[in-house]
Amino acid sequence: MKRILLIQIILMAGIVSLAGQSPEERYLQAGGLYGSGDFSGAAAIYRKLWEEGFRSEDLLYNAGNAFFKSGDNASAILFYERAKLLAPADEDIDYNLQIARSRITDRFESVPQLFFVRWFDFLALLASTNLWAVSALVMFLVALMLALVFLTRARARGRLLSFWLAIAALLLSFLLISLALRNNNLVNHNSKAVITCSIVTGRSAPGETGNELFVLHSGTTVIVEQELGAFREVRLPDGNKGWIRSDCMENL
Amino acid sequence: MKRIMTAFVFLLACLAATAQEVTLTVEAPESAVAGERFRIIYTINSTDGQFTPPKFDPSFSVQGPQQSTSRNVQWINGDMKAVSSTTLIYYVSVGAPGTYTIPAAQFETKKITVSSQEKQIVINAGASAQQAPGQQQGQARAAGDAPASGSEVSMKILLSDREVYAGEPLTGTLKLYTRINLSGIQELKLPDFKGFLKEDIETPPLRSLETEVIDGIQYGTGVIQRFVLYPQIPGELRIDPAEMTVLVQERTGARDPFFDDPFFDSFFSSVSTVPRKITTQPLTVRVKPLPEPRPADFHGAVGSFTIESSISGTDAKLNDAVTMTVTLKGSGNLNLSGEPVISFPQGIEKYDPKVTVRSSGTSSGTKVFEYLLIPRNTGAFEIPPVSYSVFDPKEEKYVTLRAGGFTVNVTGTPGDEESAAPVYIPGEDVKYLGQDIRFIRNGKTRLVTLSSPLVSTLHYWLWFALALFIAVLVLVVRKQQIRRNADTAGLRNRRAAKNARKRLARATSLLKSGNKEAVNAEVARALWGYLGDKLRMAQSDITREKCYSALRERKADEDMITELDRILTATEYSQYAPVSEGESPEALVERAAALIGKLDGVLD
Repeated sequence: MKRILLIQIILMAGIVSLAGQSPEERYLQAGGLYGSGDFSGAAAIYRKLWEEGFRSEDLLYNAGNAFFKSGDNASAILFYERAKLLAPADEDIDYNLQIARSRITDRFESVPQLFFVRWFDFLALLASTNLWAVSALVMFLVALMLALVFLTRARARGRLLSFWLAIAALLLSFLLISLALRNNNLVNHNSKAVITCSIVTGRSAPGETGNELFVLHSGTTVIVEQELGAFREVRLPDGNKGWIRSDCMENL
Repeated sequence: MKRIMTAFVFLLACLAATAQEVTLTVEAPESAVAGERFRIIYTINSTDGQFTPPKFDPSFSVQGPQQSTSRNVQWINGDMKAVSSTTLIYYVSVGAPGTYTIPAAQFETKKITVSSQEKQIVINAGASAQQAPGQQQGQARAAGDAPASGSEVSMKILLSDREVYAGEPLTGTLKLYTRINLSGIQELKLPDFKGFLKEDIETPPLRSLETEVIDGIQYGTGVIQRFVLYPQIPGELRIDPAEMTVLVQERTGARDPFFDDPFFDSFFSSVSTVPRKITTQPLTVRVKPLPEPRPADFHGAVGSFTIESSISGTDAKLNDAVTMTVTLKGSGNLNLSGEPVISFPQGIEKYDPKVTVRSSGTSSGTKVFEYLLIPRNTGAFEIPPVSYSVFDPKEEKYVTLRAGGFTVNVTGTPGDEESAAPVYIPGEDVKYLGQDIRFIRNGKTRLVTLSSPLVSTLHYWLWFALALFIAVLVLVVRKQQIRRNADTAGLRNRRAAKNARKRLARATSLLKSGNKEAVNAEVARALWGYLGDKLRMAQSDITREKCYSALRERKADEDMITELDRILTATEYSQYAPVSEGESPEALVERAAALIGKLDGVLD
């Protein structure tokens, strides 16, 4: 009985020591593995950190690099896309993503997004959802105060000015709210997904019976439109749609 | 007697001439190859007699003779003509080259003895005497490439090798074999040599045929075209047949039965020229790919080469050209050998090399790369040794050739270019060697744990609602307060005149008591109270000046303001001055009452 207890204690100690490594230490350890050429080992640690809910643009960028070097282009693209959501202006991410994209099979004449959508998304990604949300709230309070000034100071000199300022603050607050919502949408509910199966057929209906429409290869980024059972309707970069098995893709 | 004798001899001679003239001819090639078998044919147009073979040189190894006789009897116009002939064939081979004489043979009949001509024969020393093509013939024959027996005219492509590495040069010879007379060749059509790069070797036009004996049959041979082939792609490469039209001399008309003899042919039979198409057999060549991995400094050279490098001078002046020469020498695909890559130091401007190929007809020769270098900076520049890998098909491996590098000392001052014109030094684009992703970020990072975003929580939106609620509450309270304030002011406004009249009435009642100061004070209070209520000013901070400016703002007459000033002065004056000065209190009260009435019309 005593021996069992001892073993248990030793086991527990082992688990504790394993878990005791802080995420930052594991992150640095993965960097070391990458430097020494063990790309798949590094990729596994980065992925584990991601799955445990740790986020940082450097983590995602390094994960993309590790996957690229270990030959998994689809995962590399997935992680670069994720990293881009945290750091939309990072030039290294763009460069590596472009190289990873050049190594995949599928080529598309992509339909470009409208420029203001692109700008808005870029702006939305420049700060985190919560930063946008808090600043939206602050701006709303400012707008309310200015409105109160306008409404109560009957003969005060800055009445007109306070009116316009209140309107501006209110609009700004709405803009900030929409940025926060857009950021939340992009980061937490992104409809983009990356194909992970090496080859998968797109059909006209969910299930294995629909007419075959197209064939996709790993690494292609698609937009998920709806989900039905084990199938998802995806939109391709060139605008075509089709149904693909859900287990053949990974959401951002 | 003597006369009879001469007549008899004459008769005899005539008889012999009319009956048959005995001839002995010999046919032998003018030249032959040492060790090869050739034929010596003796033809006698008689059967009854004794043939004495010639005394062959002891170095001749003779087989035979193979003897055949033919007899031909013809009756023409009742006369019988009997033609008989004997053919003796000797098969001879000579071991040592040289010029030999075949001595005369003799044929003795009862009446006459004839002898054949002496013949000279040149024996060639097989390989060495016949140069390259002869050598290939020998090889070809050894490989069973002899012309198809039975055909009178044929053509062959003889290849130096049938199994080569890609890029390894291959000599081809298109050769004609004939056993009959040809008067010419026409329309040579070579195949397109798919998969090969073909380079013609200058071949002299075919004028005369050489004699060659193959499997006992004598052929007239001639090289039509020689070329070098460089196989470009690995695999089984097929060489399609070459086509050619030859003009064959054919005998037409009846053969003369008496003179079946080559010598007389030209006189008694007519010969016509007939074109005949001949083709070669298709060939296949097995091309082996070059082994992988190829060295980085391999530029396609296949063969056995040596390399040398030289430089025009190791001391150079600034901006003066220096020539570095790299010479590739040997046999192989010189034309397809790329230039060596030399990493010249920075500060030396390099131009594309001038390439000259000097080949000696076949695939061997030299290829010279001349690099023009212009030093643009002073100092000692190290030109690294040239490293050039070639594939040696004999050893079946890559051989790295090296040639020495040089150190060039460049002197001169940068300023003193001989011409005043500025020297344009072209910039060079950065060379990109490859593409790879950028390296990871190795610094520390701030790992943020994933938290649910505020926008998807209810309390965030409740904050907005709360803020709005508080604002509305504040607004409502404030509005009420304002309204209340506005109410009291209005009340005061409405009651101002009434209060003032009350005070004035009290002042009137005070008049009876005769207390003058009290009356004045009451008048002043009535006026100040009235003004304070009407102008919405507190009694504590009301002054005359504020009152006057407020009244002027409300468009009150200047008379009224003067009247007010006077009354106020009077009340103050009577309050603090000794009694009986100024007006009577009764008049003051009346004037104050009149003024208030007037002001009430202006102020509302």
